[in-house]
Amino acid sequence: MRIAVVRPQVPFARGGAEIFTDRLVDELRARDHDADLVSVPFKWYPGARVLTQAFLWRMLDLDEADGRRIDLVVATKFPSYLVRHADKRVWLVHQFRQAYELDGTPLGQFGDSPEDRALRRKVQELDRVALGEAARLFTTSRNVAARLAASTGLAAEVLPHPPQELDYRCEGYGNFVLSVNRLDRAKRIDLLLEAAAHDAGLEVVIAGDGPDRERLERLASERGLNGRARFTGRVSEAELADLYARCLAVYYAPVDEDYGMVPLEAFLSEKPVLTTTDAGGPLEVVFDHSTGLVVTPDAEEIARALGWLREHRDEAASLGRAGNAIAREVTWDRAIGRLLA
Amino acid sequence: MKVAYFSPMPPEQTGIADYSALLLPELRERIDVTVVRRGARKPPRGADVALYHVGNNPDAHAWIVDALRRAPGVVVLHDFVLHHLVAGMTVGRRDGHGYLDLMEREHGVVGRLLGHGVLDKRIPPLWESRPEDFPLATFVLEHATGLIAHSRYVRDRARAAGFEGPISVVPHPAWPAPTVSPERRGTGVVVGCFGVVNASKRIPELLRATADVRREHPELTLLLVGSTSPGFDLDRRLQRLGLAGDGLAREGWVDESRLWALMAGSDVLVNLRHPTMGETSGSVIRGLSLGKPLVVSDVGWFSELPGDVALKVAPDDAEVETLTAALELLAARADIRDAMGAAAADLARREHDVGRVADLYAGSLESAVGGGAVDDAVLREVSEAAADVGISANSAEAREIARRLAEVELG
Repeated sequence: MRIAVVRPQVPFARGGAEIFTDRLVDELRARDHDADLVSVPFKWYPGARVLTQAFLWRMLDLDEADGRRIDLVVATKFPSYLVRHADKRVWLVHQFRQAYELDGTPLGQFGDSPEDRALRRKVQELDRVALGEAARLFTTSRNVAARLAASTGLAAEVLPHPPQELDYRCEGYGNFVLSVNRLDRAKRIDLLLEAAAHDAGLEVVIAGDGPDRERLERLASERGLNGRARFTGRVSEAELADLYARCLAVYYAPVDEDYGMVPLEAFLSEKPVLTTTDAGGPLEVVFDHSTGLVVTPDAEEIARALGWLREHRDEAASLGRAGNAIAREVTWDRAIGRLLA
Repeated sequence: MKVAYFSPMPPEQTGIADYSALLLPELRERIDVTVVRRGARKPPRGADVALYHVGNNPDAHAWIVDALRRAPGVVVLHDFVLHHLVAGMTVGRRDGHGYLDLMEREHGVVGRLLGHGVLDKRIPPLWESRPEDFPLATFVLEHATGLIAHSRYVRDRARAAGFEGPISVVPHPAWPAPTVSPERRGTGVVVGCFGVVNASKRIPELLRATADVRREHPELTLLLVGSTSPGFDLDRRLQRLGLAGDGLAREGWVDESRLWALMAGSDVLVNLRHPTMGETSGSVIRGLSLGKPLVVSDVGWFSELPGDVALKVAPDDAEVETLTAALELLAARADIRDAMGAAAADLARREHDVGRVADLYAGSLESAVGGGAVDDAVLREVSEAAADVGISANSAEAREIARRLAEVELG
């Protein structure tokens, strides 16, 4: 089958959606499909630029390329799903969140002016039209599907995808708790540092980089965590697999995450995950005292839970193994089978 | 955003007053709303947009349409057929010429001649005899900057009438079902019918179908709740069909709490009408909240109810037979009644939740206030980009761009 995977591209930026779509193309090709990636630059400001940039997708002709028919288009992210195609399938990573749950928060984009309010509604209208015309509509998580249903009334099938390919393994349950994340405020690494301040026996390794790093390093220093909180910055795939293999548990507590690959990566390394009751997508695989621990987003609660794992390593291993069984069910064979069915 | 809100309000006893009483608390959580006092001639200073609730009753809505005609704004069109309202605001104010002009504008010379016939009392008033054929909605539409309709039916009729502004379809909000003790008025299946008792509610057809169904299901009771229209001889019809005894329970006008209790005590709710004025039905909405299976006419808004919630009866030659079959099915099959009732309650929660409705209102009003500027900005940028690469205004390429913009409702 000839398949175009379409995605917007913010020049010089690369994140989870880019990794996901690259991998999707690879996996489609591995199954003998003629797949290619189609991307268009995206800029969402100022003013109505979010709409005119989105409209670029509507003018594309992906019915065929070089005289040969394109059988199917897979779109993943706003505004790529505005593209027209008789067999448009949307595998939604998330909507343009500034127009939805982030509106009115510091992460929002639209102000209180009549133009900004109307602009936000136009983005929502675009979603209703463009997602509503899709032949099949999938989301990567129940959390994204629920947001979609609440905002547009559209029902989607939940279709999770596997995490990045690493040399996943378990080499025991060491003394440190691992955090793997881009370092920004929404990921709440500060809660982990505050938890370490409450429990002198807690060691943490923070992998990843981002705009919040300086503040987090300062916080670690202020709390006297020197030696117990290690910031690795960005690590190689081999280093990441090694950290997963040796850690006691993985901390992952972003605010209302869409899906989140980290829990599945932890599970593939047979490690339990500690998350919070408001984490969103992670709660679809992290179950309290089943595959990890789920606590309120409170540093003392987190410290207590991680302390319990340190004192109960057999139970920690058991939780990690239970998670492993879930993660192994999420395969590209299954995902692509349903996507193309 | 500041909204001037024109609507009948309680203690006025109209469905739209009840509607606004339900909607306003939720709406006020989202936008700044000032309810305009009855009789006000225009919106208060500082309002970004005026919202006018328009229905067909001149006593309740004439002052609102007067204000609309002075200061255009967003109209909530509760009925599409507005002939009665227009007659009240023209003929009722001794403005026969206004009535004739409007009849001619919407319906040509024939309309004007018919209008003369009405004014000269040579034919019965059209607002009583044939309002559905002469809706006269232009009287309101020409002053609306945007429309909120409760059904695709009204949206489509407004478009067909030439309205070109934005139209949002916003469901009627559902009252949360109160905790009442169900009041049952029969020992077998109770079929409840709530509202004014008259021919346009298809009461004659309902009575005949009930008499037919009772031959197989003599335990079935028809509960009729509502005042009888003058000239509608209910008693004689009941006598003739043998329904005057056990088969019928009758209540006149009842207050709100009794209404809910009687509805809750019914197993099936029937809400028929023909012709439709494009209205929604507060009774049907209450029935959804209570999770009751419904039988409705296959017209207007009622046609848009999902098939798993309502059995639909076309107002055609086979109306009584279809209605009989629907009632027989629901009388015989408790499992179908339960499934339809569950689907109704789900629909009320999903589609008609008052918070969701308020969100949609806020969206429509925000679009009405700022949407023009956004459209202008989009069109300006797209047309400049097109011109930069040599696409001229009337070329095939320009037409394709316009078509694509329209597809995604931009510009």
